Amino acid sequence: MTIDRLCPLICSMTQRKISDREPINIKKKISKMDSEKSKQLQIIADRLRIQSILATSASKSGHPSSCASMADILSVLFFHAMKYKVSAPKDPSSDRFILSKGHAAPILYAAWAEAGLFPKSELMNLRKIDSDLEGHPTPRLNFIDVATGSLGQGLSVAAGMAYVGKNIDKASYRTYCLIGDGESAEGSIWEAMHFAGHYKLDNLVAIFDVNRLGQSEPTALQHDVETYRKRADAFGFHAIVIDGHNIEEIVQAFDEAAATKGKPTAIIAKTFKGHGLDGVADHENWHGKPLGDKAASIVKNIEERIAGSNVPAPIAESPVEDAPVVSIINIRLSSAPAYKKGETVATRVAYGTALMKLAQNNSRVIGLDGDTKNSTYSEKIKKVSTDNYIECYIAEQNLVGVAIGAACRDRTVAFCSTFAAFFTRAFDQIRMGAISQTNINCVGSHAGVSIGEDGPSQMALEDLAMFRTIPGCTVFYPSDAVSCERACELAANTRGICFIRTSRPATVVMYDNEELFQVGKAKVVRENPGDKVVLIGAGITMHEGLKAADTLASNGIHVCVIDPFTIKPLDADTIRAHALRVGGKVLTVEDHYPEGGIGEAVASALSTDTNITVKRLAVNEVPRSGPPEALLEKYGISANCIVKAVYNLLQ
Amino acid sequence: MDGDTKNSTYSKKIKKVSTDNYIECYIAEQNLVGVAIGAACRDRTVAFCSTFAAFFTRTFDQIRMGALSQKNINCVGSHAGVSIGEDGPSQMALEDLAMFRTIPGCTVFYPNDAVSCERACELEANTRGICFIRTSRPATVVIYNNEALFQVGKAQVVRENPGDKIVLIVAGITMHEGLKAADTLATNGIHVCVIDPYTIKPLDADTIRAHALRVGGKILTVEDHYPEGGIGETVACILSTDANITVKRLAVDEVPRSCPPEVLFEKYGNSSNCIVNAVYNLLQ
Repeated sequence: MTIDRLCPLICSMTQRKISDREPINIKKKISKMDSEKSKQLQIIADRLRIQSILATSASKSGHPSSCASMADILSVLFFHAMKYKVSAPKDPSSDRFILSKGHAAPILYAAWAEAGLFPKSELMNLRKIDSDLEGHPTPRLNFIDVATGSLGQGLSVAAGMAYVGKNIDKASYRTYCLIGDGESAEGSIWEAMHFAGHYKLDNLVAIFDVNRLGQSEPTALQHDVETYRKRADAFGFHAIVIDGHNIEEIVQAFDEAAATKGKPTAIIAKTFKGHGLDGVADHENWHGKPLGDKAASIVKNIEERIAGSNVPAPIAESPVEDAPVVSIINIRLSSAPAYKKGETVATRVAYGTALMKLAQNNSRVIGLDGDTKNSTYSEKIKKVSTDNYIECYIAEQNLVGVAIGAACRDRTVAFCSTFAAFFTRAFDQIRMGAISQTNINCVGSHAGVSIGEDGPSQMALEDLAMFRTIPGCTVFYPSDAVSCERACELAANTRGICFIRTSRPATVVMYDNEELFQVGKAKVVRENPGDKVVLIGAGITMHEGLKAADTLASNGIHVCVIDPFTIKPLDADTIRAHALRVGGKVLTVEDHYPEGGIGEAVASALSTDTNITVKRLAVNEVPRSGPPEALLEKYGISANCIVKAVYNLLQ
Repeated sequence: MDGDTKNSTYSKKIKKVSTDNYIECYIAEQNLVGVAIGAACRDRTVAFCSTFAAFFTRTFDQIRMGALSQKNINCVGSHAGVSIGEDGPSQMALEDLAMFRTIPGCTVFYPNDAVSCERACELEANTRGICFIRTSRPATVVIYNNEALFQVGKAQVVRENPGDKIVLIVAGITMHEGLKAADTLATNGIHVCVIDPYTIKPLDADTIRAHALRVGGKILTVEDHYPEGGIGETVACILSTDANITVKRLAVDEVPRSCPPEVLFEKYGNSSNCIVNAVYNLLQ
C-alpha cells in the first residue's frame, strides 16, 4: 500500500476519531480508486462550487450555500457513479437523477455543463426570462425529468422510476435522489422510504445531504446522523453514514450501494452548508442568499485551492442499453363498451372495466391505488396481470409521486386512483406534476353527497375546483358507464394531467355503446324547439336533471339538457349556442361545493355574454351522513329541487 | 407556527413578544396545519400558521377536514403569484384563492397594503371558521390611512368618478398595477372605478353590482392567480344572474417561469400596460 493511498484513509480515520462519536459504517477495505481520480473529482466539485457562486451572483438570487454542501456528492455521482449519455440526457436506459432539494438547481446545471451538455457561459443566464435555466429545475430543460422546488416530493418520483426499472422495464438503470435534511422533515419523504423499502427497490439510492442548517434556523436533528441512519434502516434501507465531503467515502458508498441486493440504499452524508466557502460554511443566515461582495474573494480562494486546474471532467460510462423500446401512443379499449341502455352501472365500476381493457391492449398501462382498489375498482386491472398493478397503501402523496415517476420518459401510462376527496391530500404533488409536464391520469371515486352515509370526510366536494386550477389538466365527469369507458380511453391518450370523477351509486346507462366522445365536446342529451332553460348537469346530477326534465315536460315545460363531459376544457360554444336559443337562461346543478366547479366554469365562460344568466345549484354547506336521496334533497340538487329552480327561473 | 419559512413570512416577529408564542414546525406542512388545529381546540389558543401560500396546497386535505371540524385556525400564505419573480413557479401560489374559497365558512382576505393587512389579521383573530390571508413578497405602496376601518365582506371603493366607464377589481399586487393603469387612463380622459374587494370570500357583491350598474355594466378583474377559482370567477359567478353585467377576467393563464417580476406581469397580462389595453378593448 503506497503512502498516497494510505494518507486519505488515515486522515479520514483521524477525522472520525476527532469528531463526534458516530459509528464507522464504511467498510475498511482500501478504495480501488486511484488518488489521481479522487483529486480530479475533488477539483470538479470545487469547480461546481465556483459556478454556483458565479451564477447566483449574476442573477442576484439563488442558493449557493445549499449548492456547496452537495458539490462533492454531485461530482462523484456525475463523474463516477452514474451511467448516462450527454448526447441523450433522457435516454430510457440511462441512470436517473432527481434533485429533490430543487433550490440547489445552479449546481445541477453546472454539473451538466461540466459534462459538456451546454457551454458553461450559459450558466450565467440563470433565472433570466430568455433562459430555461430557471430558479428551480423544470423539464423545459432536456435533462430534467420532473420539476422540483416544493420540497419532499423527489423521492416518491424516484421510487416510481425505480419500481418501473426493476419490475416493468426489468432494466439495469439506477435511480439516484438527493434530499435535503430540512426537507426530510416532510412526511412524503417517509411515505416514499416505506414504499421503496417494502418493494425492495435495490436500484434506488437516496442521498441525504445533512448540512445541519434549514432555511430559518438549524434543522431539528442537526448533525445527528445516527438518528437518520436508524430511521433509514427501520424503513428497510441499507443505510450508510459518510463524511459528505470526503471523495473516497462517497465513492465507496455508491459502490457499496450498487453491490447491495434486496434493499434500497440510503447514504446519510454529513456535510456543511456552504462548505468550501470561507466565512459562509456552517454559518446561519446564508440560506437563499447570493454571496454579494464576498463572492470574488471566496471564488479566488477556491481557485487557489484547485490551483486553477483545467483538468477535463471524466466522461461518464454509457448505460447498458437494456430498457425495452415501448410505445404508449394510440391506446384503445380492447373492446367497445358493452352495456344495455337503461341498466344501472356505477361509473366507478366502468372505470375498472376500462382500465382492464386498456391494459389488455397495451401492457404499459398500469394502475396504482391507495388501498381503495376494491372501492375504486382499479383492482380489475389485476385480471390482465398483477404486474400491471402497484399497491401504494394509504399514502396519497406517494401514490401520486410514484405515478409521476412511473410515467417519466414515457415508460408507462399511469392511472392512479383513490376516493376523489383524498386527492386533496396530494394537491401539491399534482400542482408540481403540472409544472413537470406529467401525463398521469387521476381517477377519483365517491364524488359528492351521493356517497351517502359515510359522511363528509369521504365526500369529494372540492375536487373539480382543485383539478380545474391545474394548467393543461383535462377534467372528465362522465355521466354513465359508456362515457366513462371512453373518458378513460381519451385520458390514456391525452397529454397533461387528466382527472376522471366517478360516482359510488349505480346510475342508468344513457348512451349507446357506439357513441363517440371527445375532449371539450358536450353532448346535448335533450333538445326541443320549445326549450325554455338550458340545464347542465353531470354525474349524479345528470340523472336528477333528466328526471326533472321528464317531470317538467309532463307539465308542458321543456328544458335543454346538456352533458358537458369535460368540465375543462368546457364546450362553451355549444352551451352558449343553446343558451341563446332558449332565451338566455342557464341552470347548472352539481354534487360539489359552489366554488370552482361546474357552475363557476359555466358562469365564467359566459361572463362576457350579455343576455345570458347562469343560476347555480350546488352543495352550500358541510353535509352530513344520511341516505343519498335524502342528502340530494337536503342540499338542493335533487330532481325536485331542480324542478323548483326551473319554475323560479321562469317566473 | 411556521414551516421553516418564518424569516420569509415574517411570522418570526412574534418571538419579540416571547419565544413561547412561536412553534417551529419545520418543513412539514400537513403537520403544521394539524398542530395548529390541535392547538386551537377547546379554545386554548388563537393559532396563526404560515408558510408560502403555494405550500398550503400540501395540506389541502387537513384544511378540508379542519372545516368539517369547525376549527378556527388562521392560515397566512406569503409569496403570492408571479410577483415573487425569479424563484419560479414551484414557489408561486397561483391556485390558493381557489383552494381556500372551496372551504365552507372560510374567510379569504387579500389585503393590498400594510394598513389593511394589519386589520385583516386583527379580524382573523376574531372570526370563527378557517381564515386565510394572502400576502405578497414585494414591497408595495401604503394606500390607506392608518385610521381606515375594514370589515369582512366589505369592499373599499378606492377610485370613483361620475364619469367612470368600467369597474376595475384588483387586489394585492394587481391593485397597484390597477391604480397605475387608472392614472394613465385618466390622463387620456377615461375614468375607471377601482374597487378593492378586501375579502374574496365573502365577496361584497352589492357594492360591486351597484358600481357595475352605475358605469354601464362592464367589469374587469385582474389577479396574480390562475383563471380558475379566483377573483375573476368569484365576481363572474356572483353576478351571473345579472343579465346586463359582463365580466372580463385577466389572470395568469399558463405555467409561468423564473424571471424578474415586472417582466412576468407584462408577459402574463397583469401589468398596468396590459390593464390599460384591456380597458381600451372593452370600451370599443
